[in-house]
Amino acid sequence: MGKTDPFTRENIAQGLLAAADEMFYSWGRTSQSTIIYEVLDYACGLTDANGNLIGQANGATMFLGAITFSAKAILKKFGKDKIKPGDVFLTNDPFTGAGTHLCDVAAVLPIFYHNELVSFAVNKGHWNEIGGKNLGSWSTDAEEIFQEGLQLPDIRIYDGGVFNESVRDIIGANCRTPDMTLGDLYGQTAALRIAQARVLELFDKYGRDEVLESMEFILENGRKTALLELSKMPKGVFEAEDLLDTEANGVNDIPVKVKVTITDEEFILDFTGTGKAVFAPINCSVYGAQSGARIAYSALLSPHTPPNDGFYSLLKVLVPEGCLFNAKSPYPVSCDWEPIQILIDVVMKALAEAVPERVPAGHFLSIIGTIVGGTDDKTGKPFVLCEPQAGGWGAGDIKDGESGLVAVCDGETFIVPVEVCEYRYPIRVEQFALNPKTGAGQFRGGHGLIRDYRILNSKAEVTTIASRHKIAPWGFAGGKDGSINDVQIYKKRSGEMKSAATWSHEPLEQGDLIRLISGGGGGYGNPKKRPAEKVLKDWEDGRITLEEAKKEYGIIIDEAAGKVDMEKTKAFRP
Amino acid sequence: MSIRVAADIGGTFTDFVSLDEETGRIIEEKAHTTPANFAEGVIYAVKKSGISLSEVSYFVHGTTVVINAITERKGAPTALITTKGFRDVLEIGRANRPDMYNYFYKKPVPYVPRKYRYEVEERVSNRGEILIPLNEEELLSVASKIRESGIRSVAVCFINSYANAGQEQKAGKILAGQLPDAEITISSDLLKVWREYERTSTTVLNAYVKPAARLYLDTLKDTLKEMGLKEEPHAMQSNGGTATFERAKEVPISLIESGPVGGVIGGAALGKVINEPNIITFDVGGTTAKTSLISKGQVKITTEYKLEWTPLFAGYPVKSPVVDIIEIGNGGGSVAWIDEVGVLKVGPKSAGADPGPACYGKGGTQATLTDANLVTGRIDPDNFLGGTFKVDTEKSRQAIKPIADYFKISVEEAAMGIIKTAAGNMLNALKLVSVRRGYDPQDFAMLAQGGNGALLSPYLARELKVKKCIIPNLPGTFSAWGMLMTDLRQDFMQTCIMPFGNADLKIVNDIYGRMEEEAVSIFKRQNIKEKDILFIRTAEVRYAGQEHAVSTPVASGAVTKESIKECREQFDMIHEQKYTFSLPEAGAEFVGFNLTAYGVVLKPEIKKIGKGGNLEGAVKGERNVMYEAYGGILCKVYDRMKLGRGDRITGPAIVEESKSVTVLCPDQTLEVDAYGNLIINTKY
Repeated sequence: MGKTDPFTRENIAQGLLAAADEMFYSWGRTSQSTIIYEVLDYACGLTDANGNLIGQANGATMFLGAITFSAKAILKKFGKDKIKPGDVFLTNDPFTGAGTHLCDVAAVLPIFYHNELVSFAVNKGHWNEIGGKNLGSWSTDAEEIFQEGLQLPDIRIYDGGVFNESVRDIIGANCRTPDMTLGDLYGQTAALRIAQARVLELFDKYGRDEVLESMEFILENGRKTALLELSKMPKGVFEAEDLLDTEANGVNDIPVKVKVTITDEEFILDFTGTGKAVFAPINCSVYGAQSGARIAYSALLSPHTPPNDGFYSLLKVLVPEGCLFNAKSPYPVSCDWEPIQILIDVVMKALAEAVPERVPAGHFLSIIGTIVGGTDDKTGKPFVLCEPQAGGWGAGDIKDGESGLVAVCDGETFIVPVEVCEYRYPIRVEQFALNPKTGAGQFRGGHGLIRDYRILNSKAEVTTIASRHKIAPWGFAGGKDGSINDVQIYKKRSGEMKSAATWSHEPLEQGDLIRLISGGGGGYGNPKKRPAEKVLKDWEDGRITLEEAKKEYGIIIDEAAGKVDMEKTKAFRP
Repeated sequence: MSIRVAADIGGTFTDFVSLDEETGRIIEEKAHTTPANFAEGVIYAVKKSGISLSEVSYFVHGTTVVINAITERKGAPTALITTKGFRDVLEIGRANRPDMYNYFYKKPVPYVPRKYRYEVEERVSNRGEILIPLNEEELLSVASKIRESGIRSVAVCFINSYANAGQEQKAGKILAGQLPDAEITISSDLLKVWREYERTSTTVLNAYVKPAARLYLDTLKDTLKEMGLKEEPHAMQSNGGTATFERAKEVPISLIESGPVGGVIGGAALGKVINEPNIITFDVGGTTAKTSLISKGQVKITTEYKLEWTPLFAGYPVKSPVVDIIEIGNGGGSVAWIDEVGVLKVGPKSAGADPGPACYGKGGTQATLTDANLVTGRIDPDNFLGGTFKVDTEKSRQAIKPIADYFKISVEEAAMGIIKTAAGNMLNALKLVSVRRGYDPQDFAMLAQGGNGALLSPYLARELKVKKCIIPNLPGTFSAWGMLMTDLRQDFMQTCIMPFGNADLKIVNDIYGRMEEEAVSIFKRQNIKEKDILFIRTAEVRYAGQEHAVSTPVASGAVTKESIKECREQFDMIHEQKYTFSLPEAGAEFVGFNLTAYGVVLKPEIKKIGKGGNLEGAVKGERNVMYEAYGGILCKVYDRMKLGRGDRITGPAIVEESKSVTVLCPDQTLEVDAYGNLIINTKY
């Protein structure tokens, strides 16, 4: 036992985690940016003096690596001796540690206790706008990162407490909505100061040694938990491959490959064999790959263990230089959730057979990033609807898949209500419904969604990007594959319909309709084993047709009687 | 006719408090809650108290019937009718995955299965224009399907009905004609706020419990009348006010948190008497601790309530005003355990009433907070629940021993560890309602309640650094007492987005005018005279571009340019307090207008107690009590019943009463105030 009694240590640990939570709560409530407040696309956390993650609160899983790698990038660039009280740093550099695309900006505040660097408070969030060739700072057709926005490569925004107005003016001048962007910056740094105050309160109350010891214990306990959970996993080598079928800039489908090696003390993900980075914004940096790997690791080992660098210390990620998962400047990364999600999915798929109790069938996988924008006829001001879609999840060995849930890179992410959408944008939502096509199985895949946007403005444009447009989510253990993601455009004037998953600035006119269809999840187990009463209920609920009941499940329903025809069913189900 | 009665059904006990306004005499009773038929417990408690209901001028009832019917899925089969294209809104929800890394997460299952979710052609725009008129033929055909299905509870929620409720109301009238024996809930009758999922969810839950609530309230009322009650009984609503049974059964969803709010309202009422407008209430029962904040005499209300919500489960939104209470799974019965990496945790699992803590000797072997309190001398085994219940300290020691062995410390030290861990959890909840919302605890008094509230409150008051800690009379049944101090209350909300810059005064005045008219009409039906109605207006305000709005006061009377300006200034101020910054230069907008209407009723006067002076006479003994950083200290034990006004006790000390124990810390002093409350001050 250390200097501190175990109960006090735990009180301190809880206090540190509470500081991260409070930072998260405070920023979310005051943020001006749509993405942060509706989608909670941000994260807040604390590290020790070396940048090791102590605790993190985040709304989207993709930010798992956000805190630690950002703090470490600052430490690496400046060194401990050049960092002083009152400093705050900004970074959105995907290649040195910020990890994700340029709109995600991390702010890093070193916390000093009596002039000793003891911790970093870090938060990172999706800024509404950081410049670049398109409004919203992400596009589906960028060819290099310079088109994707302003880069902030680990810079000081507050120097010993003095705000750098020159940097502020550069940011302001390079963004289309400077008020909102700078508002995000102020909210973000205010939240860091709240965390700083809470951490210093703990130091004052319990003492320096006690708090530092508590930080060490958090990391040590994280590692212990990971070892314990790893001991419950089968050991060996597990492999899987897939194709990233996102259409962008005409690139071909990209092979994705993983070899997972599980030993008593290590969980190694080797992505050798994955295709090369492409001149389309569907690459990610090595830190993006690390974040994705952490999501898969958490999901497989212990979904409820709070993230910290002790817990992740068993994870090793190997991504060859120059591959899709380890792109370098000038490769564009603005839709990096596309590679990151398939990275996670292929790891899950590799282990599915070995641990079916931990892995359900495939889900719709893509967030179907959607932008509908234009200049509002009524106000003359630009409008931008920017949102992820929700879709169907895979069935598992004990349950049907969930319907209408956000994808794995998102988390506590809320879809925009129809009524808010109609108030805010010149759009009418004509339908928001379940997509009946899902993967059949003993346990049925969850439903994707159908969302119809009718354009009320004279002109608008739509941009979307999605994978799983050609290759449906995988079924598992005899379950059928789910259904694909699709974005359909119905032109009012010509009456024609066009279908694709990726659209770049597709022009629209008043009366045109965009139909966003997210895929249904894969099924689990032989559909013929699904109990007749469940199939009947699915039919009653309008989730499957009579035909599907017969063809997929081998159940004959007497429509008039509303019952299963047992006699006829016997012929189909031995 | 001068007796006021409150009956509060809780998970384990039904609390009963009566107050004779002439003599000031208070009777408290506890009866076991009777889940099979909750009314039985109430009736039993009434009988046990010996009160004659014909003497009762005011009967108020807190009930868990509504929340139980919902969480136990015992409501009525319900049908839902939506705008064409939107029947799945209820199932889709907001699509969030709070349990982010769990691939086996299960979403909330909708209370209406898909086959009973019907659509009709109709459409209103967000500006209230009728785009597609209601297709009445289609509605008739839906009505006949519902009739055939045998379903007798129907919810109706149309898109954008917050902006124009006409078509929804029309559909409601047609359905009432078609389905005369069905209960119909129309979303715009409950709330006129945007966000279709949240509104649909609220409407469906109201429809789901309506038949059960009606049956329960009618049965109880009939029984009480048979027993002599002459006055219309009142139900405690989650918004901290009451409504008559007649009104409550129309809007049963407003009773969702009927139980826990009494203590908060009581806190505000007591604060008024003893001149403490800023209070943090802290209620510790057997399984949970609840805390809420009262600022300047005002109870905090939230409209973000989600039933069954946890950090890992999305829950079911109820957009009905609820007193903002933070609840954590730590109470006397909470179990202490060591997690897999060797950290001591307390709760949320509870030993409940059966087997209960190890010391009950009913077969419980796991250590609980109560066991730790016993081992450390905080509770006297011979005076547990006033000596009516035998407890065994040796069993507590045995239960704690494995924890002591694990950490290689003594049983007493381990018991202190359990108390410290539970106190840490509670402290975080207390900070959540205070510090984290921008309030400085030094401006607040902490008010202890519940069977276990007084045990830990003095210590937590010191840790939180509040101004003082108050142990009221009868802390164990304080929540029921609080219900006696409650006015009738109705809340109205109307979403209406409007920039401050060119606010349309006519629209604002119309909205408030309509709400006030409706409030008067509802209260008149509850026999409240117009002179006793009090209105409080607020507006939801935010900076342009923000999502979350801040509730900001609006002056009563005609809204003018001046009052709008005043409102804007107030908003900046409140924003600064809550979020550490304000943007007075930035554009701001109204998101909606709210009205709270009170039907003020006569409340009993709180009587002063006799003067003290014989402190030694109140000492009933001495015992050894463990304190952190001090170890065991021999403390005097006082009998609260023998303390009088002005008596002062210096800590460490114990003050006992029949259903509660106050543990005074070494650096604290206690003074009995004029009304018998124990006021504890800490030397910081």
